[in-house]
Amino acid sequence: MVLDIDLVGTISTYLGLPPELVRAVLAPLIYPGLGVFTVIVLFLIWAERKIAAKVQLRVGPYYVSKRLHGALQMLADGIRVAFQEVIIPLEAEKPAYILAPILSFAALTVAFAVVPGGPGIYGFSSSMSLLIVYAAISVSPILIILMGWSSSNKFSYIGAGRETLVTIAGEVTLLASLLSVAMMYKSLDILEIVEIQRQTDIIGLVANPLAALLFFIAALLLTDRIPFDLVLGEQEIVQGPFTEYTGVLYALTLALDYGKLYVLMLLFTSLFLGGWAPFDSVILGVVAVLAKTILLLLLAVFLRSVYARMRIDQVASVFWGRLFPLALLSFIISALVAPLYG
Amino acid sequence: MENRSEKEIPSRKRPNLVKAHLDAITIGLKTLLTRKPMTMMYPEVSEEWPEGYRGVIIYFYDKCIGCSLCSQICPPRAIKMYKVPGDKRLRPGYDIGRCIFCGLCVEICPVDALAESKVSDKVFDKLEQMVFDPIDWTFFTKDLQKEQETRRNKVRVIIDEEVGLRYESTVTK
Amino acid sequence: MSSSTLPGMEVRELGTRQGLRLIELNIGAQHPASGHMRMIVYLDGDVIVDVDPDIGYVHRTMEKLAETREYVRVISTIERMTIIDACNVTLPYVEAVEKLLGIEPPPRAKYLRTILCEINRISSHLYGLGLGGIFLNHSTMYMWAFGDREVFLHLANMLTGARLTHTYAIMGGVRRDLPQGFRDAFEKAKRYMTRRLKEYDKIFFNNPVVRGRLENIGVLPRRDAILLGASGPNLRASGVEYDARMTKYAAYEELDFKPVVGEAGDALERIWVRLREIEYSLELIDRALKQLPEGLFFNEKYVKMAPPAVKHWIEKGRVRLPGTYIRLKTKPGEIITRAEMGHGEITYHLVSDGGIKPYRLRIVTPSARNLILFKELPKGHLLMDFPAIYGSLDYFPPEADR
Ligand code: SF4
Ligand code: SF4
Repeated sequence: MVLDIDLVGTISTYLGLPPELVRAVLAPLIYPGLGVFTVIVLFLIWAERKIAAKVQLRVGPYYVSKRLHGALQMLADGIRVAFQEVIIPLEAEKPAYILAPILSFAALTVAFAVVPGGPGIYGFSSSMSLLIVYAAISVSPILIILMGWSSSNKFSYIGAGRETLVTIAGEVTLLASLLSVAMMYKSLDILEIVEIQRQTDIIGLVANPLAALLFFIAALLLTDRIPFDLVLGEQEIVQGPFTEYTGVLYALTLALDYGKLYVLMLLFTSLFLGGWAPFDSVILGVVAVLAKTILLLLLAVFLRSVYARMRIDQVASVFWGRLFPLALLSFIISALVAPLYG
Repeated sequence: MENRSEKEIPSRKRPNLVKAHLDAITIGLKTLLTRKPMTMMYPEVSEEWPEGYRGVIIYFYDKCIGCSLCSQICPPRAIKMYKVPGDKRLRPGYDIGRCIFCGLCVEICPVDALAESKVSDKVFDKLEQMVFDPIDWTFFTKDLQKEQETRRNKVRVIIDEEVGLRYESTVTK
Repeated sequence: MSSSTLPGMEVRELGTRQGLRLIELNIGAQHPASGHMRMIVYLDGDVIVDVDPDIGYVHRTMEKLAETREYVRVISTIERMTIIDACNVTLPYVEAVEKLLGIEPPPRAKYLRTILCEINRISSHLYGLGLGGIFLNHSTMYMWAFGDREVFLHLANMLTGARLTHTYAIMGGVRRDLPQGFRDAFEKAKRYMTRRLKEYDKIFFNNPVVRGRLENIGVLPRRDAILLGASGPNLRASGVEYDARMTKYAAYEELDFKPVVGEAGDALERIWVRLREIEYSLELIDRALKQLPEGLFFNEKYVKMAPPAVKHWIEKGRVRLPGTYIRLKTKPGEIITRAEMGHGEITYHLVSDGGIKPYRLRIVTPSARNLILFKELPKGHLLMDFPAIYGSLDYFPPEADR
């Protein structure tokens, strides 16, 4: 294919830099990283509002760019938030208050460097990349707790407490489903996992649907999607740990959840939907990955219009009492289907 | 709950868990795919109010006999009587900012000098503009009547069995 | 009261309150889910120990205002206590004045009042359901209920000429006759709503997540409901068969009214009672429209007195009032009337000294009576259950504050 150019190679020869370095910068910054993420998150919030509006017999975003059905509304909101004054409460622990959202977002970009976005599109490859993504994702709860604590607000404080509970409940399930997948493919390298799926023509969703389901549900919990938006909990604790945040910092906290969701759904695509399968070329591969990811994201945001928020003790009991045993079961399934992948 | 077991209470009858989840998601999807918004796109279109709608009160100077009954019944005292130069009788003036569109003044007026228009959304720049003396009110009435006729993009609200509310353009062409 | 300082966070301990170390949380007056009020919630960990509702943010001196106005002008004032339930809230007042005046509305007027009352009840319940939904963060229920409420507002608009503040029932009858096409429109609305109620069940009431939030939350046992003086659907959900409509005002006697009674007394049951009452109200309106007697919609005495120049309006179904109507003089005396609003039972105590204005008008609104439940029900529940309980009580601050 003509379009199938080696972008990384071209740039590295042009600049005289080693291709690994170019790759490691391009991936987290452009694709699958921040550049594409920004576009997707703007689209996603619009889609979320539009879907919810449709289900709720409303119109949704409309007046900003009527022809595009209000698609530019989010851009307008983003610009507004970017220029909004950042108000820091007097009693807040200033350094922690400012740094926590920035750091948590920075940690997220590490994940962008490892998750592949298409054939040959990744920051760096590692035989442990699955664990690196997981590690990058699980840094953010600590920083969210820090945000809650440093805001010096009771609602934030309670929100931080909830974040603790939610994280412990959710990450066990997430990790269990990740490990059962790794066991199935006998690999911790995401690139290799995709390749295995492409070679055997069996996607992970078919081989181990249980792990896929658990992964999806745990991802909803970790990214505060309804029905598990306990940490935000508007009706009880206003905006949870983010109550006091304004302006750019608030936008970062908002983007953090969407960022996590995006990474996790990219990961889902790679682990269970065969990544860029059935295509080989870069362009089509990227399109396939993005299409699958966006579909998953839309599914995740659609649930918002069906469910209410679950109660905190029910979330805990569902995750520990139901899903965690199921996760153990998915290990057994993995053991059974592992021979499929040789 | 004293004597009856949980199951007999109608509200406790719960469908099976998986079915309930599926039901909820299906109805959500169904609404997403099949139904149109209930929203009326005000102010791009505005409602042609049903017969007898109580909007801004309009006043006909010629019919009025100056009996002041309207000012007496008006609950928020939106109508007050004014002295008009060259007129022996007191005439009613109107404060649209106070009016609650209750229509009682229309009902008490013995000579049909007051009526309800079908306009309820008027915008003013200043507070003072909302107070009309009898002469102003007469002119305002004329404006309002004109506006009522010339306003475009009106829709009639119709109750519909399928979608609840339907909006039908009043333009017949 | 000691105060311990964590770095960056002041936690005020309430010391020895019931021997527990508590956090005092102000929910309101600026909070996404507080309404026009403030709740001071005392938390032990995540468990609510006590709630102090702090009301009065929307107090508008309704009782005093009523003393300064003529009888007819009071109606549209007190209507503003519960603007979403305008006919129900004014009806007992109108009936009280009617009794003191010694006039009786014609039967047709009684039926028309009943019809509007039930339309109001449906829209009030939908409003409550919608808020109950959003308190659980179920935004679809919120929007659906508010959207479908629009249908009933339109019906009310057809009947009275106003969407919310109808001022429909006045002394001697009602202000408008049944308009043409109303029966037809109602028939459609009824069929639509019946179908929608099934959809509500699917997305909200039987939704496992919602059930999990509401079931066995804020249980109000029958005995407590009576002792605390709860009213309306909250009372009936606890299994008490009492509804002010059983006192047979307006046309409820002829309509063979039977209250909807629940049993379990928890938040779910309260929502269930509201949903079933919507169904039942549709049924009642249907019956009322079928039995609607012919005749005048306004007391004959006033119709005769109406100025001749405008009599033609009365034939067209719009009331025209005689000039003396402004200064109606009642017999001196006292009277208590009650009616069932969407939120519960409202009671008026009207004292007249024979003048043209009420000497004293005491109003006890259902929300004011239900307020005590905020203190009693959440105890021992999690903080997360607080909005669920609030939502299930259908509390309306402007009504409680009067
Ligand atoms: S409609 Fe009511 S408030 Fe307005 S002027 Fe007439 S009586 Fe007064
Ligand atoms: S009640 Fe009618 S006639 Fe009397 S002053 Fe008012 S407008 Fe004029």
